Amino acid sequence: MIRSVISLLALAVAPGVAADGGLNPQDLLKPLSGDWPTFNGDYSGKRFSSLSQINQTNVHKLTLAWVLQPHSVGIKSMPLEVNGILYLTTPDNVWAADARTGRIIWHYYRESTGDHIGQRGVGMYGDWLYFETPDCHLISLNAKDGSVRWNIELADPKLGYFATMAPLIIRNHVIVGVSGDVTDIPGFLASIDPDTGKVQWKWWTEPKPGEPGSETWPRGTDAISHGGGMTWMTGTYDPDLNQLYWGTGNPNPVLNGDIRKGENLYTCSIVALNPDTGKLLWHFQPSPHDTHDWDAVQTPILFDDEYQGVHRKLLAQASRNGYFFVLDRTTGEHIRTMPFIATDWADGIDKRGQPIPNPQKEPKPDGVLVSPGSDGATNWLAPSFDPNTGFFYVSARRLWSMFYMTAEGKPEGWAGRDRNLWADSTLEAIDYKTGKIGWKHDIGNGEGSAGILTTAGNLIFTGDNSDNLLALDPQTGKTLWHVNLGERMEGAPSTYELDGRQYLLTPAGGVILAWTLPQE
Amino acid sequence: MVLTKISLIFLSAALIASAQQHQPTPMPRQQGAEDPAAVERGRALFRSSCGFCHGNDATGSRAPDLLRSPILLHDDHGTLLGPIIHNGRPEKGMPSFATMKDDEVADIVGYLHHQANAALHSAHVPGDYPLSKLLTGNAQAGKAYFYGPGGCSNCHSVTGDLASIAKKLSPIDLQQQMVYPSDKKIAKTAVVTFADGERCEGKLVHQDEFNVSMICKDGWYRSWPRADVKIEIHDPLEMHRELMSKYTNPDIHNLFAYLETLK
Repeated sequence: MIRSVISLLALAVAPGVAADGGLNPQDLLKPLSGDWPTFNGDYSGKRFSSLSQINQTNVHKLTLAWVLQPHSVGIKSMPLEVNGILYLTTPDNVWAADARTGRIIWHYYRESTGDHIGQRGVGMYGDWLYFETPDCHLISLNAKDGSVRWNIELADPKLGYFATMAPLIIRNHVIVGVSGDVTDIPGFLASIDPDTGKVQWKWWTEPKPGEPGSETWPRGTDAISHGGGMTWMTGTYDPDLNQLYWGTGNPNPVLNGDIRKGENLYTCSIVALNPDTGKLLWHFQPSPHDTHDWDAVQTPILFDDEYQGVHRKLLAQASRNGYFFVLDRTTGEHIRTMPFIATDWADGIDKRGQPIPNPQKEPKPDGVLVSPGSDGATNWLAPSFDPNTGFFYVSARRLWSMFYMTAEGKPEGWAGRDRNLWADSTLEAIDYKTGKIGWKHDIGNGEGSAGILTTAGNLIFTGDNSDNLLALDPQTGKTLWHVNLGERMEGAPSTYELDGRQYLLTPAGGVILAWTLPQE
Repeated sequence: MVLTKISLIFLSAALIASAQQHQPTPMPRQQGAEDPAAVERGRALFRSSCGFCHGNDATGSRAPDLLRSPILLHDDHGTLLGPIIHNGRPEKGMPSFATMKDDEVADIVGYLHHQANAALHSAHVPGDYPLSKLLTGNAQAGKAYFYGPGGCSNCHSVTGDLASIAKKLSPIDLQQQMVYPSDKKIAKTAVVTFADGERCEGKLVHQDEFNVSMICKDGWYRSWPRADVKIEIHDPLEMHRELMSKYTNPDIHNLFAYLETLK
């Protein structure tokens, strides 16, 4: 697909051209190909691109096209690429850049208080961008010049809320989640009107007392109001079922579950919602009664399958607690649970497919050794699913940590902490039909930080813990090409096509590098 | 093999960097530095005047948990809390404390902010974490584990490298170093053999899928493509990693109780 040139000059003097630069929400319904228009590329969360110009026969010829140095902090975000323009973020910052050259078109900066731990990217609707901030605001920017259209507070930062995630656009809904677990506050997901900034609906992670799910919290105490269940990673969407899928984070107090006996719905859960109303359709809880900060926010990837002669719509998650779950996404029916790495915290799997926490592995004042630690067997690093291999790829960690419950009296906030001891990381290919590991590829000591991209070029792109960018064979995990980027990849690779050339985009520390094949 | 003198510099550095990335970052509070005496005065006043309803630690009883109160979290040195304490909230059943002196109100406000800050910063295991909390094991059983199934005495000596170890390390550090040492001086060593049979021995600097590098005995840094050399790595912490999947909770606490006797 060859795109028209959109230059800064054209943007400035010919507003008519810019109409071509926007994003119709209908375009998000297409499988991932020439653009990268939403956090996960498309609604399915597969991060599988149908581009194949870069493939196994030529990947070793990849050459550097350009470098974008925004002079900010480490990039943990997914740049969007729409009609030849990139939209890149770090906390407090948004840049638009020319996807052909890496040259910056405009820069938006807004200083804020709040947790600056990371920023995942913007959402786009028409000519407008949607950006979440460390002080928990949602800001709509004009994609043409970065000017502010409106700015709303999603939740009170004084209470401990902040925001990092990339909004998901579904028709005229801007779906936004929030972060914050150092104080005991309830999580929620909200739908915002893209034009006015008005709240269309809010779904709270904890049910109100008396509602379904509230029976999983102690009665007659204020436990349920301590909340938790932050919605800090972008979910996925099935347009045919009109179902939105989202993962929720840990309950509070984080490490002390004594005052919240029970499963604590809908924390550490995968929930299906109606995106038009916010109504809960079904739920599944990877970590019932979590006491280790194992947020179940990892991308719930959507793919289809023929199972015993029946076509099924599936959802799979490799969860932070070390287990891989496959569900029927129409109904939420559980299909499969398998560990994707050795862990030591569960006493088996119950009839619903949910791991049974071993009380001996709950944090204690005298210290408990647990694997994985609170950073998890995986975390925010994007997984990927390749429909050609049937493998679900995840960056997995064997991680050990000592957990201490330090609080005295009634616990509030974290009420304890774990201290990391040792970690070792592998890229894994999980066969969703069995839950077994097809292959493992060692990526080194420490905690992996890079997300994963798969492409129709029969390639996986990711990074290892020694700063190497890797291209692997998705069938075998064999390395086909690598280069030392000089810094760790904390975001994920992505790809798009411009002027008939396929570009591979890789964050490395605080810079973005673009790779292409040499021009003949 | 409890406390060897060698460590995985790169692993430790990577883990520390990684852990820092993922640590929850408490929000800074707008209140100034606390006066411990004022906090204690406030604690006593709060217990006598407010604790019956709000709980002695302000986490709620028949009246709400104040540590999660938006009023407290928005308060700046009593600008919001002071009037409420003085005037009460009759519509919610809270009595007024009209006769309370301003400095007493200030002490209560200081105490409440102190409590909220403690919750906010609770994602932390302090370096002076008390021994009394950690010392739940049996030293005799720990000694038996040290010389028996733990295999610790294969590498360590309580009169050698571990002599007086409990005096050298704080209790919380001793427990963690016992399970997995993070001493930055510890390093993997390696022997690299080339195709012609020549060898290089020394300290391993880095290895990944593609290359290996080390400081050889002559003091020079050298690196090679992994495919070109044969490499044997000696990792002094290997047994610590093996033990991590074998330890029971009592093993760890008994062994810690034994090491804590080495003063």
